[in-house]
Amino acid sequence: MGVAQGPLLTMHGISKRFGAVEALTDVDLEVHAHEVVALIGDNAAGKSTLAKIVAGALTPDSGLIEINGEAVTIPTPAAAYNLGIATVFQDFALCENLDVTANLFLGREMHGALRRSDEEMERITREVLDRLASRIPSARTPLGSLSAGQRQSVAIARTLIGSPRIVVLDEPTASLSVGQTAEVLTHIERLREMGLGIILISHNMTDVRAVSDRIEVLRLGRNNGSFVTQHASYEEIIAAITGAPRADALRHPTGATLSAVS
Amino acid sequence: MKAIRQIFGGNLRQYGMSFALILLLIFFQWRTHGIMLTATNAQNILNGYSYVLILAIGMLFVIITGQIDLAPGSVAAVVGICVALSIKNWGFPWWAGVLFGLLVGIAIGAWQGAWLAFVGVPGFITTLAGQMLFRGLDQYIGKAASVPVPKEIRYIGNGYLPEWGPNTGLNNSTLLLGVLALVAIVALEIRRRARTLKAHGTAVPLWAMVARLAVMTVALGYLTYLFGSGRYGTSFPVTGVILVVLVLIYNFIATRTTIGRGVYAVGGNRAAAALTGINTKKVYFLAMANMSFLAAVAAIMYVGRSTATGPSDGVGWELDAIAAVFIGGAAVSGGVGTVIGSLIGGLVMAILNNGMYLVGVGADLSQMIRGLVLLVAVAFDLYNKTQGRPSITGTLLRGLHIRERGEATGMERPRAGVAQS
Ligand SMILES: Nc1ncnc2c1ncn2[C@@H]1O[C@H](COP(=O)(O)OP(=O)(O)OP(=O)(O)O)[C@@H](O)[C@H]1O
Ligand SMILES: [Mg+2]
Repeated sequence: MGVAQGPLLTMHGISKRFGAVEALTDVDLEVHAHEVVALIGDNAAGKSTLAKIVAGALTPDSGLIEINGEAVTIPTPAAAYNLGIATVFQDFALCENLDVTANLFLGREMHGALRRSDEEMERITREVLDRLASRIPSARTPLGSLSAGQRQSVAIARTLIGSPRIVVLDEPTASLSVGQTAEVLTHIERLREMGLGIILISHNMTDVRAVSDRIEVLRLGRNNGSFVTQHASYEEIIAAITGAPRADALRHPTGATLSAVS
Repeated sequence: MKAIRQIFGGNLRQYGMSFALILLLIFFQWRTHGIMLTATNAQNILNGYSYVLILAIGMLFVIITGQIDLAPGSVAAVVGICVALSIKNWGFPWWAGVLFGLLVGIAIGAWQGAWLAFVGVPGFITTLAGQMLFRGLDQYIGKAASVPVPKEIRYIGNGYLPEWGPNTGLNNSTLLLGVLALVAIVALEIRRRARTLKAHGTAVPLWAMVARLAVMTVALGYLTYLFGSGRYGTSFPVTGVILVVLVLIYNFIATRTTIGRGVYAVGGNRAAAALTGINTKKVYFLAMANMSFLAAVAAIMYVGRSTATGPSDGVGWELDAIAAVFIGGAAVSGGVGTVIGSLIGGLVMAILNNGMYLVGVGADLSQMIRGLVLLVAVAFDLYNKTQGRPSITGTLLRGLHIRERGEATGMERPRAGVAQS
């Protein structure tokens, strides 16, 4: 239970290539408990690739990952779940032929000796949906008959299953209405209050500035700036994203060294 | 309509299909002047088609994953010859021959599953290769000869349950099975109701459950009479018992287990399934291995019924199985389908075949008609899906769930006395 002083999640020197494409090169990232880190950058900057590495969907070519100071490998999504990492993927990764409950528990079904505990899972699903104030008619609605926004709510609701320590959200508000977006942001704040570490990937600067504590910029697969949200100006951030000459903006809330981009 | 929904619950589509099946039976009963629904003919249908229905169960899982298996006929031929030869030439006792056959089936399934799951060769190609490979292997081992099987194997494919006890006018084994089935159904229904009440606070009204049980009792009673009232020494056939046991097991796997959920997930969205931590390779591997295992079961029943192996054993079986699964409501793109649906789809084909044979329709015309039935059944499904409704099932379920949230009509609040016991 003792609150770790160091970061919850540390990623150090992460590299990942896809054939000739260097999606990530020597990337560092830290997330502390009670902290929302926004990961931003241009299209194809490597944000989703980094998220998938945390989620166990991809393995890095090199680099070190630590959780609470302990070196870990995250070879599979199941391993990520067991380490307390919950992820909402950009393409939400849900099954349209299954209902809401099934999707919420996909890959981590509750079960007895032989039988799945469907009633129990459905009960929890209804609780979670109520908590998210989602506009989903029933826990048994097939996903195929939900709107894109409703599906996104289901994907986000997945982070409420189990007791994650780290939540990764890859563009969670991309297809949501203003009201729904506000719900999601509130949800993120609630997760932070609960002491989780959150990585939020988004192209929406308003959302990022509203909830994040720190902003990490990726550019062409490399770290390209780290900002304390409160103190960062819009121009600085844009400059880091686009790679325009920028004022040196490497600041860090805890004073821990982050690899500086030279 | 609402009453029917409450009685039959979410399975309305399957009940609809059962209804089509019953219409078909009545039609042929009329056209054959009562031959269709005699004990002998009913027993013949089960003995003659159980193996296809068993193949259909295996094929269903493969199709739900979004794959197809073209090899089970050839696999069955290899298994048949292995069983027959191991008993006749190698001196295996009959049960060892059966075990050996099942192991051969599993081994072949593992081979095909490995190519699909670990090498990534699509199931269509893997099993097309398998169809040739194992047909050739069958000919190589069997030398096109017909090898007889012993009476124990024949019992598996063509046998009946024993006669015993007092004269009830029926075969007592069949009667006992009927009674046991009834007790099981009532017990399960009561347990299910209790579970639903506990989880949701509401359940279908008591009268609906009683009505459903009444319908089932009548159906079960009739089947018991139909199969039990044949000439002395006949009963509900052994093939039927094997079929029912497999249907129960696989229906449970498909609807109630985690691995079953994985099969549907992989078929629905493979990438999503992988991202959520489902072992997609394992799912593909197991679906393929299981198909060949069931092909082995079917093979043993089939050689038992034909009393010997032959060079054309299993030719075209895969197509019958695939047709049954699609008539039963599975989707070509994967992710959709049920064991019970496939069973009913297979029975529709079996009864069409048998009925047309009894009526004297030639094999040529019979084949054409069955082809059309397949086409129309699938087209009907597609039509329903493109009508802005996800599927018949989806539409009906939605109707049900609005009520289930307790907003209105018909749903009973839990009451002491109903909730308990
Ligand atoms: N599975 C893959 N195979 C090959 N290349 C890939 C794969 N996944 C990502 N890439 C490449 O890696 C780079 C980074 O992609 P990534 O999806 O991480 O970008 P992103 O920052 O999430 O972009 P966006 O804002 O558009 O979502 C891109 O050049 C992309 O083409
Ligand atoms: Mg992305």
